[in-house]
Amino acid sequence: MQFDAYNQAQLAVVLILFIGVLSITLLTGISGQLSLGQGALMAVGGYSTALLMINYKLSLWVAIPLSIISSAIAGLLLGVAAARLRGPYLAGTTLVIALAIPTIANRFMSVFKGDEGLQVDVGYPPQWFSSLFGEPTYEQWQLYVALPFAAVALFFASNILLSRTGRMWRSIRDHESAASLAGVNFARQKIYVFVISSTFAGLSGALYGLRGLVGPSVYPVSLSLLLLTAAVLGGIRSIAGAFIGTVIVVFLPDWIELILGNFELSEQVSNYLPALISSLLLILTVVINPAGVAGARLHKHK
Amino acid sequence: MLKIDNLVTRFGSVVAIDGVSMQAQESKITTVIGANGAGKSTLLRTISGLEHPSSGSITWKGQSILGKRPEDIVRLGIAHVPEGHAVISELSVEENISMGSLFRRRKFKSDITTAIDEMYALFPRLKERRKQLAGTLSGGERQMLAISRALVSRPQLLLLDEPSLGLAPLVVEQIIDSVNILCRSTGLSVLLVEQNANTALGVADHGVLLALGKVVADRPAAELKADAKLRAAYLGY
Amino acid sequence: MNTFLAALSLGTSRGAIFALVALGLVIVWRGAGIVNFAQMGQAMFSTYIASTLITNGYSYWLAFFVALLSGAALGALLDIFIMRPLSNKKQSELLSSESMRAAVPVIASLGILGALQALAGIIWAAEERGFPSPAKQEGFTVAGNVLPFTSFDVFVVSIVTVTLILTTLFFTKTGIGLAMRATALNQEVAKLSGIRTNRTRTISWAISGAASSLAGLLITPTSNLSPNTLDLVLIVGFTAAVVGGLDSPAGAVLGGFILGMVISFVTFYDTPEDVYLAILAVLLLVLIIRPRGILGSKDARRV
Repeated sequence: MQFDAYNQAQLAVVLILFIGVLSITLLTGISGQLSLGQGALMAVGGYSTALLMINYKLSLWVAIPLSIISSAIAGLLLGVAAARLRGPYLAGTTLVIALAIPTIANRFMSVFKGDEGLQVDVGYPPQWFSSLFGEPTYEQWQLYVALPFAAVALFFASNILLSRTGRMWRSIRDHESAASLAGVNFARQKIYVFVISSTFAGLSGALYGLRGLVGPSVYPVSLSLLLLTAAVLGGIRSIAGAFIGTVIVVFLPDWIELILGNFELSEQVSNYLPALISSLLLILTVVINPAGVAGARLHKHK
Repeated sequence: MLKIDNLVTRFGSVVAIDGVSMQAQESKITTVIGANGAGKSTLLRTISGLEHPSSGSITWKGQSILGKRPEDIVRLGIAHVPEGHAVISELSVEENISMGSLFRRRKFKSDITTAIDEMYALFPRLKERRKQLAGTLSGGERQMLAISRALVSRPQLLLLDEPSLGLAPLVVEQIIDSVNILCRSTGLSVLLVEQNANTALGVADHGVLLALGKVVADRPAAELKADAKLRAAYLGY
Repeated sequence: MNTFLAALSLGTSRGAIFALVALGLVIVWRGAGIVNFAQMGQAMFSTYIASTLITNGYSYWLAFFVALLSGAALGALLDIFIMRPLSNKKQSELLSSESMRAAVPVIASLGILGALQALAGIIWAAEERGFPSPAKQEGFTVAGNVLPFTSFDVFVVSIVTVTLILTTLFFTKTGIGLAMRATALNQEVAKLSGIRTNRTRTISWAISGAASSLAGLLITPTSNLSPNTLDLVLIVGFTAAVVGGLDSPAGAVLGGFILGMVISFVTFYDTPEDVYLAILAVLLLVLIIRPRGILGSKDARRV
């Protein structure tokens, strides 16, 4: 088994999307709010980073942390709009948002360059790095850039999950009706969840765009659904689940090709087969084992 | 008519009904009494199919109805009026009553109008309010409506769960009287669950006293009513 | 003046279609208690079937009829094989949380949408197809001026009006309609009344499926058919249903026309680029000012 440039790029995507899936784990798995607009929040992160890098010539190591601020603001706005919504109202509204936000790119063409998008990439490693570790390929450097951010995201996510905040978010998920009857006001906490979750999504979006292009075609609605699928398949309530799910959705096309490579499939079929299978897996998971892969394991251990 | 044998119903680790055996006799009013949490409502819900028992048997007219769905049990002639005014507030009085007769439309079309008219005759206040939404009715009227809905399906056994809950004594008396009249005139069998043991034992033929899911006494109602020791121990009066 | 008439005309015919989509959503909401995001995927699928028939030489009306039938059948199958097992599942610890119980059917419907789109891609490829219209697409000529209202628009509005009248009568005057409303409002009481709630829910899904197929058939002649064309229609339908009140069929109609007008006027007087943002603005406005929708009842927000 080779670990060539293609695999390296894939691994980078796994790390990048893992951060995005964590945003869903926090928002939906822990606090019970279903949002279909994470892709739009990723776009916010991506565009902020790209604009900072292009217009202000900032390095990605500065631009990305700064763009997290704009993601947080977007999350704040989203949270204020969504905090009073539940269930399908929340899902539908976030879906509308997911479709509406990318059109801004076409509305203000001068800034966002419409469908053409903004071109950015991870650039080259600094001199000291190359002298120490040797000159990495572009794909390897992508991986090395994604790693520290993924590690930071993992650190913060597990902290939140284990903290008092995490417990409060879980009580929103489980007892909102009952607790609100008792007078507990969850609105502020719900907004807070949106803010935190959006920073994760924004970070993921920034790194995602740095693969080469930031544009509406990079952050379609299907991206939001992809993140959700990954979260559900792997296990929506745990970090391990988020990782497992991301691995599944990223490697699924390759696994399918591996299994069906011997069959003569028309291009038509092979283009859409991964999407069909991941949709079917999503349906099966939700009907048979809603807790996902990680959830099933947890249950066994009990 | 209705025979229950060693019935056990659990909710997780909680045993709500713990080996209950009893009968509901034909054309008689049998009342199930006992303190709160004795398992009375669970018993009715298990009979009507809303809850599934873990063991035991329920036989209706010789056939086992264990594991059948509620909508099928209604078709076999058992109608359940659950606790707490089981009417649909967003539908009108007329619609609520009609609901009970929907499944009979194919076979008994003509009888349905008769059945509905009989309900309006039994409870004239409902006829006045037939177009109103059920949610606007008073507590007593809603209880009458719930009972009408059940009766319109022409049951042979009526399961009545705490009809007195939250109602003024006069209203309760009216309702229980109407049910009593129905039973005596049409031969309807009634299984009446009541916390108000005094009222229940006043109209019933037979009484079953439940405590913590078990049958403590199973006797003619008059005897139960006269047994002061039992009443003091389990019913508090 | 001409622009105004054109905007009005487009708003009316599109509004009629959106009303139909919103109505389909309301039917499933009232009959089964969930919002079916896969609805336009079902519509797309049925329309593809119709398109295939027409390409192979069958008449428009036969294809029309088959599309409606397949829409109903697809809806029923989705309920029987996916939604019913879903609602019967009680054991999972995940489902003890109420927000997850509400989220799970939504996720399932999204999975169905994805599967239908992928399946359509596999069977028919993503090629955009044209779709014929049974009526002329040119405007009427009155006193030498060409009105921006075509006979196809008349066709659309009349079919939708008829459908709406039939649906209202169905819900309020028939036994099945009553059974559907009862099942949606209080399943337990419905069961105790002898109503076969499972079957009733499936019928809701079938009717909604037929309604959305109808919407797909009516909108496709003016746009092209591909696995993703109806995404916009879905969110407009959703917004229309929310604006009108998720539990009100009349509200669905009202919402549909309001949104049709908004989109049409934005397209003509502003720029088509702003359409999605306009939809979002309308949605947020309603959710903030009158969350239950214009004609929705107080319980409309019940999740």
